[in-house]
Amino acid sequence: MEKSDILWEAHYRYNFDRDLYVNESAKKAFSLEFVDDHPKEELRQRILENTDGREWKFYFNFPPSDGVRRELEKDLESVRG
Amino acid sequence: MPERTIEDRLREEYFDLLPEIRRVVWQLEAEIRFLTLPILHDLEAHEQLLVKSRVKDCESALKTIARDAGTRDEDRRSEGRKFDPERPADYSILNLPDLAGVRVLVFPNSRLIEVDESLRSRFEHWTSKPVKDDSGSILAPKYHGYCEGARTKVRGEYQIVPMLLGLFWEVEHSAMYKFRAVANSKEMRDRRADVERALSRFEAGIGSFTRGKK
Repeated sequence: MEKSDILWEAHYRYNFDRDLYVNESAKKAFSLEFVDDHPKEELRQRILENTDGREWKFYFNFPPSDGVRRELEKDLESVRG
Repeated sequence: MPERTIEDRLREEYFDLLPEIRRVVWQLEAEIRFLTLPILHDLEAHEQLLVKSRVKDCESALKTIARDAGTRDEDRRSEGRKFDPERPADYSILNLPDLAGVRVLVFPNSRLIEVDESLRSRFEHWTSKPVKDDSGSILAPKYHGYCEGARTKVRGEYQIVPMLLGLFWEVEHSAMYKFRAVANSKEMRDRRADVERALSRFEAGIGSFTRGKK
């Protein structure tokens, strides 16, 4: 099973503008680079990781700056409606 | 009135620069066509040399900047592809080396080296940044720099590409343009590398078969 299949099955959808795999209901997003650079097992663990679901959780190789985080949250919230 | 975003400012910068970008691409294409003319006239029936040029479009320029800028590391991509509103000075259209681009498609590979050498003396101060595959092997020589006498801050870029590989990239680019990110994923990069290896081997095979045939 490819990494993209693992994410698809966990209801992560690809955001083509941001190059992110996003699960809107879980409020979690994986960057393309993170997915590329981490093994499938770790990806599965992160998918299962519990978050409180109130704030977005970004799985990036390098954490986004506060400014970028705010911009991304704004984008992703507007998609959620 | 809504606040101007970094994207707005970059679009304005792009369209201010567009006449200069066009001028650079015209000059670069004209010089490359002129310098490769002796090779063109010397081609055998089975050999080919094509010169193509393009101006990078505005939205593609913005996407590249959002992807590559702001990390302070040439090889690191900016995850999330978002401009940082707190660092507007990090972003400029002029950071892109390939606003004005020329691609020379050559067959067979022996002609590629000849074309590369014929252009190097004219562009000897340009920076070399060859296109490489994931294993680090060079697929195509690529250079960027300022055109002599063009009086502009816009840089030009040219690359010399084995023809089959170049044609594959063209098809792949137009087919996958909207899905660039997927095309750049590890899975698709592996598949693309398979095609590139096969095309390179085919090209090398044809090259050695036709070697010495006049």
